[in-house]
This record gives sequence, structure tokens and C-alpha cells, in this order.
Amino acid sequence: MSHVDDGTLNAYLDGEVSPAEAQGVDAHLAQCPTCRGRLEEERALITRAGELLALAAPPDHGLPPFRVGDVKPPTRLWWRVRLPLAWAATVVLALGIGSYLGGRVERASRAQTASDTQPAERRALDAPVRSKLAQRESRGTVGGAARTPPPAQPAAPASRQEADGIALERKVQVAAIPRDTALSAATPAPAPASKAAFVMVDGALVEKGSPIRIDSARALLGADPLAVPGAPIRTIYRAREIGYSAVVIVEQALDSNTVIEVVNGRRSPVALEAVTVTGAAAPLVRADSAAVAGRAPLDRARSADSVAAAPAAKAAARLGRYETQNWWQRSLGDLDVRVSGPLPSDSLQKLLRAVQPVKP
Amino acid sequence: MSSVSAEDLAETYRTTYRALVRFLYRKVWDAERAEDLAQEAFARALVHKPDNARGWLFIVAANMARDDARRAARERRHLTLLTAEPQESASATEEALEVESDRARVRAALDELTPRDREVLLLWDSGLSYDEIAAQTGLARGAIGTTLSRARRRLVQAYEAGKSGEHVARG
Repeated sequence: MSHVDDGTLNAYLDGEVSPAEAQGVDAHLAQCPTCRGRLEEERALITRAGELLALAAPPDHGLPPFRVGDVKPPTRLWWRVRLPLAWAATVVLALGIGSYLGGRVERASRAQTASDTQPAERRALDAPVRSKLAQRESRGTVGGAARTPPPAQPAAPASRQEADGIALERKVQVAAIPRDTALSAATPAPAPASKAAFVMVDGALVEKGSPIRIDSARALLGADPLAVPGAPIRTIYRAREIGYSAVVIVEQALDSNTVIEVVNGRRSPVALEAVTVTGAAAPLVRADSAAVAGRAPLDRARSADSVAAAPAAKAAARLGRYETQNWWQRSLGDLDVRVSGPLPSDSLQKLLRAVQPVKP
Repeated sequence: MSSVSAEDLAETYRTTYRALVRFLYRKVWDAERAEDLAQEAFARALVHKPDNARGWLFIVAANMARDDARRAARERRHLTLLTAEPQESASATEEALEVESDRARVRAALDELTPRDREVLLLWDSGLSYDEIAAQTGLARGAIGTTLSRARRRLVQAYEAGKSGEHVARG
């Protein structure tokens, strides 16, 4: 058989060859030391190129909230909303710190909610200049004395609060859940909607690829993907990992606050080196800075807007998050399967023992 | 015709936004601008509700980045005024400088690639599959692996050459 060309080797390592093609490559590699050497060379190049590109990643500014209802296209474009959003985050942060120091957490929740409701943004949209002023003012407040009442607060339309009573109440509940860090105070979206877009692999964060359907997952793995029975499957992603010809991540919700990930890795029949893959999820924290930071150096405490005023709090949130990452792994046939999530080890072990193939 | 709901798009936003910013950043090399363009791409997606939102977003983003580069060349002065928002003054620690120079080296190395190789590499690094890259670039799917192989090798070589201070011929 002729040698495997570089393009095929790359596709093979990228997990982009069909199972039949992969078998052909495997068969050739098994008997051709030259191609095994080239495979390692390409593997090193792929890793190195990925590292270099990670060096040229943008500074992480987190994930701005996505609120479909706020966008009235085509005149109200998102980039015009950004400044007011930043301003709102500033107010939230200022109120959060002030109230925290004053020990008046309940008031903070309500104030945060008020500044976080849609009318505030709409209003801000109508008066961007004013918002900018307010933003600068409140920046000063954050940097200075946290006891000073935030000057931007009057801009939040109090009269609209009651009209949005339902949304407000919902957000108060959300705000009341993890209020131990400034990061959570400055993160306005409801917690259950969040989930990590990255998983931890050997200490490095790896991006989930595109969401795929169960049929595609089955085709990629050459077997039924494994999942925990009884827990609804939220999304299935493909992922990439060297050492596996295919990786599929099944995201399942145990309840509204707990999301686990079942990582299915199809091992390459020719295992040239041992590779450990882990998965992790931290559904209670939004998939923003900490998750993305893994592709860039982890020291990016600074952020675009006034949220950067609390780097210490951010670092603390990050630390707590890593501490919650647990995973367990076992091998079933050609698949390595891992369960990860913000759960104690014994719970994860139980879930791991319970995994079953998802039948068509 | 469109079966895409706002919820679908919100999900795409969550899974794709950062990748899109990263993709755009490596074209415009301005983090704020990259985020603005990504936001605008999603705003357009809300209007158009494309069936394949992910692929659509990257195509729109690539076009916007290209337009942006043209406009920037034409109206550099004007743009400077527009984007003159207060920047947080990054403390010029040695570490920050090191990060900056690494970034500049990678940028220079990327510039050494042909436009096509660079595009394929950036799309792959943004999480697109070979199929998606083929659909976006018009390349045959079978050519993606070869293109990526060449692009990766070139990037690494150009970076190492730049780092060791050697002169790297343009092309």
C-alpha cells in the first residue's frame, strides 16, 4: 500500500476521516514505520500551531448577554447596545459591592435586578450620550469609595420596574442563588441557561465543536453514544482530541441547575501514546472568562469594562470553579467514557456506572 | 422557509460567540472591534434567521472583516475617533509585554501564509469542521487536510524563523 499523504494524516489526526478511511490508515501505520514517524511529526505540528494561535487570542471579555427581545433590527444593532450594557454592568457591580460592604444583600439583589431589566437598556439606548456619562461616573465610583451611592442609579426607570414585575421576581431569585462573588453579581443572565462551552482536558481547556445530532454522533463513534439514562440530553457536541479518532460530548441536565457531560472518546486502534482525556462542567458559573481563558494564558484578570475593577473577586470565582471540576472515566469496548460535572466524586462514579448506550 | 427560532440562535450564540470573536480578532487585530463585529453578525442573524446559523455567521464575519479592513484603510482617522473609548490602561508589566510580543510574532507569522491557507487554518481553529470549512471556502473537502497541513507547517516555521531573528522572505 502506498504511503499516507500529509493531508490524510492531518485529517486522521483531526478526526475528520470516515471510520472506513481510518481503518485503512491504521492498517498502513501498523506496518509502516516511516508513516508512523510522519504521523508524529504532523501531530507535533498540529499541537504547536494550536499553541501559537492560542498566543494570538483576543483578551477575554466574557460573553455579553444575549437577549433576543432587546434587539429590534435592523435599526438597533448589537454593537450600539454594547456601551449601555457595559454601563449596566457597572451599576450592578457598584451596587453589589456597596451593598455587600453594608451587609444589605437583599437590597443589592433588588437593585441589581432593577438595573438589569430590559427597560434600563432600552432607555440607555435612546440616550447613549447620557449612558456614557453615567458609565464614566460610575467607573469613578467603583474605583473610589464603594460606600458612595452609585450616581447612575436614577437612570434606571423605577416606574417600569412594576410593569416588569414578573421578570423582576424571576431575576431576584436568580440573583439570590450564588451571590458570594462579585463575578456572579456582575453576570446578569439566569444561571440555568448557562453552561460551559469548553471542557477540561488534561489541564487544558478544549473547545467543544459544533452541536451535532445523535445520528452523527453514532456515525462518528461507530457505536451508540453512552449517556446516563433518565436524564434529558440537552445538546450533543463533537469535539477533538488527539489520540481519539472521534470525541462526542453528551450534555445532560440532572436538574435545572446541574449539567453533566458524558464524554465519549473512540480510541484510535493504533494507540501511539497514552492520552488521558477528562471532561468538566461548571454549570453554575457562566461560560465566560474562566472557560475561554484556557486557550490563552490564564492570567487575564483584566476585562473590557468596569467588571475589571474586581480582579481579585474574579480570580476567586475561577479558583472555586476549578475546585468543583470532577470527573470519572472508564473504558467500554472501543470507547473511553467520562462523566464530569459539579458533583461529588461518588455521585459521578454512580452516574458513570449507570451509563448506557443511547439506542436509536 | 426559516425553521430557526430565537432560542436556536441564542444557543448558537452561546456556543459560537467566543469562537467568532477569536476568528475576527485575527483579522482585524483589535479586540473591541472584533467583539463589535461579532455582535453585529449576530444582530444580522436575528434578522435573516439563516438555516445554518453557524456557517452563515462565519461567512458574514469574514465579509465584515474584509469590508472593515477596506473601510479602515479609507477612513483610518475617522475610525480612530469612533473607537476612542476609554481603554483600561494595561499595566506595562514584563509579562504583559511578553504576551504582546508573542501575539505580534504570531500575527507576523500568520501574515506569511497565503490568504487561503490562513483562512482555512483560522476557520479550523474556530471550531469549524472540514465540511464546514469546505462549504465556506469553496475548496474540495479532500483538500482541507492538505491545506491545513501546509498552513500549520508554515505558521510554525515562520514563527520560529521570526523568533530567531532571521529574515523571512515574504510570500
